[in-house]
Amino acid sequence: MKRVIILLLIFFIVAFTFISATHSLPGPKPHPLKLNIPPGWPKPAKDIFAGNPLTEEGFQLGKKLFYDGRLSKDGNFPCASCHQQFAAFATYDHDFSHGYNNLFTTRNAPPLFNLAWSPLLHWDGGINHIEVQPLAPLTAPNEMAENADSVLKKLRKDTAYVRLFKAAFGTPVINSQRMLKALAQFTGSMVSSNSKYDKVMRGEAKFTYAEDEGYKLFKAHCAHCHTEPLFTDFSFRNNGIDANDYLKDYGRMRITNDKNDSLKFKVPSLRNVALTFPYMHDGRLYSLGQVMEFYSTGININIPTLDSSLKKRVPMTNVQQNNLIYFLYTLTDTAFVKNPRFAQ
Amino acid sequence: MVADGKQIKIGLIIIGALMLLYGSPVTAQRNEGTITIRFTHSVQAAPLILDSGVYQNPFGEVYRVSKLKYYISNIKLKEYGKSLWLKNNYYLVDAADTASQQFSITVPAGKYESLEFMIGVDSMKNVSGAQSGALDPTKGMFWTWNSGYIFFKLEGNSTASTFVNQKIEYHIGGFAGAANALQAVNLAPPGNQTIIIHKNAVTTVYINTNVNALWKGSYDLKIATLPAMMTPGMVSKSIAENYKAMFSITNIAAD
Repeated sequence: MKRVIILLLIFFIVAFTFISATHSLPGPKPHPLKLNIPPGWPKPAKDIFAGNPLTEEGFQLGKKLFYDGRLSKDGNFPCASCHQQFAAFATYDHDFSHGYNNLFTTRNAPPLFNLAWSPLLHWDGGINHIEVQPLAPLTAPNEMAENADSVLKKLRKDTAYVRLFKAAFGTPVINSQRMLKALAQFTGSMVSSNSKYDKVMRGEAKFTYAEDEGYKLFKAHCAHCHTEPLFTDFSFRNNGIDANDYLKDYGRMRITNDKNDSLKFKVPSLRNVALTFPYMHDGRLYSLGQVMEFYSTGININIPTLDSSLKKRVPMTNVQQNNLIYFLYTLTDTAFVKNPRFAQ
Repeated sequence: MVADGKQIKIGLIIIGALMLLYGSPVTAQRNEGTITIRFTHSVQAAPLILDSGVYQNPFGEVYRVSKLKYYISNIKLKEYGKSLWLKNNYYLVDAADTASQQFSITVPAGKYESLEFMIGVDSMKNVSGAQSGALDPTKGMFWTWNSGYIFFKLEGNSTASTFVNQKIEYHIGGFAGAANALQAVNLAPPGNQTIIIHKNAVTTVYINTNVNALWKGSYDLKIATLPAMMTPGMVSKSIAENYKAMFSITNIAAD
């Protein structure tokens, strides 16, 4: 009888091993993570991780992909080539970023942080979900100039990726959905909430006199669109910037086909604004000083779709402009731009 | 030590439980059959031959087709007042890929009066991030700069086209608001036929897609005026309203 049981067990173990091998049993479960919502911040309007459970392994895979040049046609243009951490993931000191074959992009690269709160991405809001965003730069001939199928072929040849995809998603399958979800886990996890401004709000620091005066001006003239604590209300507005003669970029109208949206662009967050120069959708204003001058005297008040809050421009004295700039400097989050968790 | 009955029982229970984990090979017998839907493509009565076939649209414009792809989704069978939704199905039909032109779905046996489906992809799937399978964005049916699926894609050339290489290119889609180009198609079988699904048998419904419906419906799509349309919007929607008339059931065959 004992022999029967032993034989049965041996048969069973062999069968089990065989089935396991053919079914490619999942490895250990990935470790779940939670998106930290800073105290006092609103909850994101929609949960970008609802269909993409955030895990340490998914995040790490996304990070490797973000820094990998193989996502571009010639290997030179990883996501990180235009989204540099020291510039809060914008392109430092460039109106337009550089892409494949010595080409320029056609808009100023936006910084990446607090994307979990952003309902629509890109200056014109054309991207409706963080997971599908990478397809735009990846396939654009003047950016990464690749196609997803070709990227996937390159990744499948790399055993490190086979391991990382298995760790993140349970099986070693490498497909576009998983690649995009992993990238979303990395970029969607970037939260910038540790600037001097945040410390002041938490009672851990104090504004200087000039910063405080600047904050008062900010609340009176800017907060309407650059709403705290994210410093944007995520709307699309025309701030009185004339159309660029070369680009003929009419912003939101390209997406909605509505002429009322002509020359409207997404209100960018002002967090880390000192690092993200040059400014505006085409990077035409180089410094914060120029931006102050623009809002004081430069707004074209004759564009029909100009935002109603800017019809009288925002006249400020030199002292007021300087104070406002001092306040904007307090929005720089050094801990974020130096956080090794987001670094290569 | 000699194994007693209890140990054998425990052993068998463990083995039984583990077999269950891997699924029992015995599936329950249900009153179900299979519907196979098969697409053929034509221009009027002539079969569509990609690249080499030369055709004429209702405005006398001469054209060739190099690419024809479209999404079929949300398939329903209608049973005298009731409709039976065959869930979770998105199919990308490609005139260049025979395998894509036929698919089968298990359905309850019965008599059905018509077949209904959508041309395109519902708005939910357009806003829910990266998808897989037929909706994988690498299938070339996804707009990367204005998130959303291309529902219908026809490319080719025409002597009436003013574009480079006399190209014609229609990428039609759009899911938002008034410009929603998703089209519902309701197809009744020819004559007095019904779609009968027998238990454990296959019924094939043959659908022909007549490309020429694209050009003329409530909207006149003239190649000379509009050789390309590649963005969502009201014109895309009008074109979609034309092409929804492309489909007809030509035959129903039981195995």
